[in-house]
Parts: sequence; C-alpha cells; structure tokens
Amino acid sequence: MNRNAAIGITAVVTGLFALFFLYPAFSVIGEAFQAPDGSFTLAFIGDVFRNPVYREGLWNALALGLASTLATFLIAFPLALLSHRYDFAGRGILGVLILIPLVLPPFVGAIGIKHMLDVDGSLNALLIDLGLMNPATPYDWLANGRFWGIVAMNALHLYPILYMNVTAALSNLDPAMEQAAENLGCTPARRLWRITLPLAMPGIFAGSAIVFVWAFTELGVPLVFDYTRVAPVQVFDGIKDLTGNPAPYALVAVILVISAVVFGITKYFFGRQTSSAQPRPKGRGGEVKLTGLRSLGCAMIFAAVFLIASVPHIGVILLSLSEDWYQTVLPVALKFDHYIEALGDPLVVPSIQNSLFYASCATLVDLVLGVAIAWVIVRSTIKGRALIDALVMLPLAVPGLVLAFGYLALSQEGKPLRFLIGENGNPAMLLIVAYAVRRLPYVVRSAVAGLQQSNPALEEAARSLGAGWFRTLRRVSLPLIGANLAAGGILAFAFAMLEVSDSLILAQQTEHYPITKAIYMLLSSLGNGHELAAALGVWAMLFLAIAIAGAAALGGKRGGLFRM
Amino acid sequence: MAASFMDAIRADSIVKQFGTVQALDGVSLEVAAGELFFLLGASGCGKTTLLRCIAGLETPTSGTIHFGERDVTKLPPHKREAAMVFQSYALWPHLNVERNVAFGLEERKVDKAEIRKRVGEALELVHLAGMGDRGIDQLSGGQQQRVALARALVVRPKCLLLDEPLSNLDAKLRIEMRREIRRIVKEGGLTGVYVTHDQEEALSMADRMAVLNRGRIEQLGTAEEIYRTPRTAFVSGFIGETNLIKGRTIEVRGGFVMVDSPCGPLVGRVTQPDWTPGPGEEVVLSIRPEAWRLESGGGENGVTGRILERTYLGQRIQYLVETAAGPQQVVELNPLLVRDPGEQVVKLSARHADVAVLEA
Repeated sequence: MNRNAAIGITAVVTGLFALFFLYPAFSVIGEAFQAPDGSFTLAFIGDVFRNPVYREGLWNALALGLASTLATFLIAFPLALLSHRYDFAGRGILGVLILIPLVLPPFVGAIGIKHMLDVDGSLNALLIDLGLMNPATPYDWLANGRFWGIVAMNALHLYPILYMNVTAALSNLDPAMEQAAENLGCTPARRLWRITLPLAMPGIFAGSAIVFVWAFTELGVPLVFDYTRVAPVQVFDGIKDLTGNPAPYALVAVILVISAVVFGITKYFFGRQTSSAQPRPKGRGGEVKLTGLRSLGCAMIFAAVFLIASVPHIGVILLSLSEDWYQTVLPVALKFDHYIEALGDPLVVPSIQNSLFYASCATLVDLVLGVAIAWVIVRSTIKGRALIDALVMLPLAVPGLVLAFGYLALSQEGKPLRFLIGENGNPAMLLIVAYAVRRLPYVVRSAVAGLQQSNPALEEAARSLGAGWFRTLRRVSLPLIGANLAAGGILAFAFAMLEVSDSLILAQQTEHYPITKAIYMLLSSLGNGHELAAALGVWAMLFLAIAIAGAAALGGKRGGLFRM
Repeated sequence: MAASFMDAIRADSIVKQFGTVQALDGVSLEVAAGELFFLLGASGCGKTTLLRCIAGLETPTSGTIHFGERDVTKLPPHKREAAMVFQSYALWPHLNVERNVAFGLEERKVDKAEIRKRVGEALELVHLAGMGDRGIDQLSGGQQQRVALARALVVRPKCLLLDEPLSNLDAKLRIEMRREIRRIVKEGGLTGVYVTHDQEEALSMADRMAVLNRGRIEQLGTAEEIYRTPRTAFVSGFIGETNLIKGRTIEVRGGFVMVDSPCGPLVGRVTQPDWTPGPGEEVVLSIRPEAWRLESGGGENGVTGRILERTYLGQRIQYLVETAAGPQQVVELNPLLVRDPGEQVVKLSARHADVAVLEA
C-alpha cells in the first residue's frame, strides 16, 4: 500500500477535523471555563448546577434519554429476535418497512401528534364522540403527558437504530453458540437470558449509546411539544443573549461531558467485537420457518410497529390535506390546496432548493472523505490509523447542538470561521461543513465495512496488471464497495435533509432557510401555518422515503452503518 | 466418569429433507454402548446432518432414533443428554474457561461445591488444570478444542457427539489430539459418534465406521474390513487410494471370479456377502497401489507395463505404470532398486485375495 498517500490522507483529514470539529467543539467548552478576565474557572459550571432551572433541565434531559432508550429497547429487541429466529410471510419487505420511521423526521411528526392529542384534537374528539369524555372538560394530553409524549416520539423514531444493531449482532453469532447451550441442557427461555442476550450485548449497547445521546440532546421534538424545561431547549433559548451570558456554554459543556462519558463507558465495556475471529459456522442457524397463524402473527407485529410509528406522520399527511381539523377525529374535508399554496409561499420552494443543495454537497464531501479514510483504516499499515478511526466517529458522541453553537460563535464577524459565511450572511458553506462533519461517521462505517468484506487480493491483482492506484480505486475498489457507499451516502443525505440543530441555529435569513427551519418558522406563523408546515413536511418525507428505500435496497448489509 | 452412564444409539431409516434436497436417504445404524463410531464421507454426504439428528438439532423427516431403549426422536436437544463438540467449538466468549465448562452442570442444578470439583476434574482430564480463569480469546486453537471437549464431558453425557472437532487444528496438533480424544472416550467408557472427512483420522481412531455417500451408508465395518474388503467402488476410492479396472466375468468359482480385463484375465474375490456376479456381467476390479508388486519373475495376475513416472518418498516409492488397462498407481516399500521412467518393460502382479471384485 502507498504509505505516503496514507500519511497524506491522515494529515489532511486530521487537519480538517481539527479545524471544523475539534476547534468549534472545544471553543464551546472553553467558553464555559473562561472567566471574563481570561483565566480558567469552574464557576460557570458550578452555576449550572446551582441554578434550579438548569438542574431541572438536565434531570429532565437525562430522564428523557434514559426513558427513550429503554422504550426503544422494548420495541427493538423483540423485533430483532423475531426476525432472527423465525422466517415468516413478508419478512423481507417488513424488515425494510420497519426501518423507514428512522428517516421520518420526528420534528415533523410532532406536528401531527399535536393535532391528534391537543385539547381540541382527534383523540379527545373521538372520546367525546364515544361519550367517554365530557366536552366541557376536555383532558389536555399534551400538557399532562408531555414527557411521555416525547419519549414515545423518540422511541418510535429511534428504534430502527437499535433494531439494526441487534439484528447485525445476532446474525454474526455462530448458531452453534446457541445450539451448544441447548445441547448442554438449557431450555430455550434460559438460553435467551444466559447466552443470546450477553452475546448480543455489544450490539445492544452500541445502538443504545447512539439512541441515548440522540434522545438526551434532542431539540426538535421538545421544541414542538413546548417542553422548555429540558437542557437542549434551554441552550437553544439561551442563544438569544449570546453575548453576555456564559450559562448556555456551561450547559453545553455539561451535556457534552455526559454524552462523551456514556459513549466512553459503552466503548470501554462493549467496544470489543466478539467471535469475529471464529471460523464461519457451517450448517444451519436455528431459523424456524413459520406457517399459518404464527407466520401471520409475526407479520402483524412488524406491521403494527410500523403503523404505530407512522401515526404521527399519517397525522401530518392528513393535516396537510385538511380543510379544517378542529375538534374532529379526522379532518372535515380533504384538499390539495395547501400543497399548491405552500409552493407559492416565499419560504417553501427556496427551502427545498436550499436543503437539496446543502445535503447533496455535504454528502459528496462525506463520500470523498469517507472512502479516503476507510482506505487508510482498512488497507494501510500506518500507526495513526486506529486514532483516525476513533476521531471520525467522535461526531456521534457530540450533540449537534454543541457543534451548532460552536459554529455560530466562531463564524461571528472577525472570528476564524467567518470565511465560511458568504455574501449577505449566506450560511451555505457553514451548513455544508456542519452537515458533512456530523454525518461522516455513517459513510466511513459503511465504506470500512465494504473494504473489510472485499479481498485485498482483488486490488493487488489490478496493481500487478499495471493499474495505478487511482485506476485501481476507480475500476476495482469502488465498484466492489459501491453498494455499501451508496447505502451510507443515502443515509447521510437523508439525515442532512432533516437536520434540526444546525439548521435552526445557523440559517439566519429567510432566503437561506433549509426545510427544517422553514417548517419551524411556518409553525410559528399565524393563519394556516400549521397546514403549510405539514405540506412541506410531506414533501420532505417523500424525498426521504425514496432515499431510505434506495439505501435499504442497495445496502444489503444493514446494521454496519450504526456500529461504533 | 463411570461406564454405567453410557448408552447404545440406534438410528432407524432416517430420512431428512431440506426443501428439495434429500440430505439423508433412509440411514440405519447401531452404535454399541462404549464404542467410538465414525461417520465418514465427503462434504455434503449427510454425515453432519445425521449427527445433528442424533443431537436433536435437526428433526428427521422420518425415521426414529433410540438411546438405549428410549425413543428420543421427538425429544428437544436440551433433554437428550448427548453432549456435542462443535466444529467451531462454540465456546461462549462472555464466559471464562471455568464458566464455560460449568454451564451444563449449572443447567442441571448441581450444587456449587460439586460443580467446582467436577469442573476441576474435567479440566485436569484435558490437561488444562489451572487455566479456569482464562478468557476464551486467550487460548490457542488446541486449548479451545480441549475446553470444548471438557465442557461436553463434564456433564457425564450418555453419549458424546463430535463434529469434525480437529479440522481447525494444524497437522501436528491434530495427530496429538486424536490420541487424546480416543483415550478420553475409552477411559470414560463413553459412546462416541465422530464425524470427519479425514480418512486417516477414521482409520486410526475408530472402533467401527460408516462411509456415507449421497445420504446413504455405503459400507459399515471396522477400519480393516473397510480398507481390505471395500464393497463398492466409492468406498475403495474414498478410503485409501486404489486402481479401478473394468471388465467382464468369465468364470465364478467359490468366492473367486475370473474377469476378462483389457490386460488379460485377472482373478479377484467377491467382497459383498449378498452378491455374486453372473457370467458375462460387467464388474469393476479394485487393486490397492501396495497390492501391485513389481517383480521380474511371475506371480498371480501378471500384467506387463511401462513406467511413466516415479516419485521418491523415502520410505516408499510411488510409480505410475502404463498398462493395457490404463495407468496404475504402484507403491513399493523398502525397494531393492529404484527404477527409471522410460522404455523398460516391467511385470506387475497381485495376489488373488488382494483384488476386490465390485459391482460396476
């Protein structure tokens, strides 16, 4: 392998990462430890913990994170186990359908949920129609069930991450591991507890850590639910007085430390891959082919989870089509006017164009960097490759909010990253960088998985036949890992399209808004803002559904994308 | 490990179908209590499927399996007490050596002190005493293999099932472990069923063996019976090397048959008890390379030929000799002289008793 190229790539990537990731992240943390006279202080951190409002916000965020992770596990693990153990009708299609909620933006889904659970929403209307509720004293589900509403939204959004991790972990298990337990007198139920679960632990924890950090730092859903007493929302609100108050910085530092600690612990205890060195087993796994009612039952469970996870988005679709949806179970009349009207809104069309542009550029950057980094990690022998592997995975541990905050501070007039802001405060470059940095881990993981699966002898054969390294890359390596790259790239694209933190914080002028910010602004506008926001949300979901279906079809090896 | 735990194993007309593939096509066999029995065959012959049926990891499409007098055909694997050693060892990486070995006893609710004692004994038996607290990934391949063996033995199973247990070891260790496994099975008085595709392993370890081909048993017997009196062309080719010559019977007398072959009449004996060729019937002769003698004088079944190739292997020489019936493999042990490939005309001969007459 070309050592100089590997060193060169490592240097460039490390430099880019230092500038666009470490620098903004540490500058945020730095602010929290810097007294007005420039000296080091822990006073602001102390203030966060002394301030009862922030303390409550942190507790709430932690509780949201833990409850969401647990709820996610309760959905994902049984599903993964079913699809591992049994072959049932429609398993292939249902296995893909079940992944789709991951890319349906919960931020958009929350709009639908609001219309269903509001005081004047569907659920109350249904209960009143059924005579189970007094119309004079409707129950406010959202105000009273806000916490659990957010947990449910998070769990129904994030379970595919855990599902993919657990499925991958289970399918990597030598079936003989379970058979040996049975052979030694272990009943199937005990086998699950003593063998299957412990062996799947690395996968479960890898997925859970991502889910936890995601839910812990989630901004969009609490925002839509008007749940202000949670740390990420407090940080978001704190931006308004960016100049003076160090409290948001300190809060961000605390959030980052907690996230990093969770990832660190997980990586330390469960990062080691087990049994990968074992020879692939021969013979069949314990997969049982179900027939009749049992097969149907399994299929129903999968379909039910998908439908329940899609309820908020079905709500969004209904809302976008509705003439009037107020105190009724379903909208009174359906029409397409909102779509047409939305297209005429000064926010909508530019925001779609902007998002497509930002997300495409970010994905392109990720693909180029991802292939180069994966090549260094898998094919080179230089010393720093383990370090670069860990480095590019860091964005998974750092909440988007933290980075967004760092970018905002560093792109102010006279600051080092100001050059990323174009004319008239155009944040395109900044957003592309922000999206690219945060989604890079997915592309790197998928490229690494692809390269690991393809035999280096195939590349060596091309080299021995006289192809230079670039031609080898183009004619042999890339075609071999094309499917993996496409899957990773599409996922990166989908996540960039519905990114919330950076988009809300960094895009300042109407003409530069990405879709998520446009939705957020429409939501807070009067008149039919909600319906227009819903129409825009449907447009976004349409793009994403196409993207995820493509990723699932091309991916083949699912699960590899979310491994740490 | 007392001998009273052992059990005979009986399989009756086992059929196993995977979709349209017939993996086992009516296999019957009986393994006596305390016997080390081998299932031998090329990959895909059904030997592992048969072992997995005995372990309960597959359910036969039809047929029954008995352990002693007990019908276990419908019994789930965890109730069979047939401990298995897997080809991949299937040691659980989240448990250390001791916990791996203790697993089966814990499942049987044996009390703690007893578990400790028996795990210690089992590890001693496989020469791993004192390694109990090691992690699985800290062990070499040979050590992992022995942990797998200890884990199966410690529960005092009624029978021990081994699925190509040595296939992941290097050649030297493999030969060492052959002796070890046989010693352990015999000392423990266990009934063992051992699957392998390695004929040397089978010849050196087995009390009796069954050669499987396409889901059927081709021949069942001791190592010597199978090597010296193969009943089919497949068996004679699979166990050891052989030369096959086609021909037609001229005359049948006693157990012996005179066959008209391309290199003149040859005499051999019939190895199948329930078959004798009729006159003029097409048959195949199987002659082992070491059954051919290279000599200048006469002898039974004399054939002339020309040496094509010579491979010198120290304690023996292999020749390839061109004859009217095609090239013949010939092996000479402790040869008097080394012959050169070339025009030289040599005379081959083979004793009548060393030539097997088989169905074509």
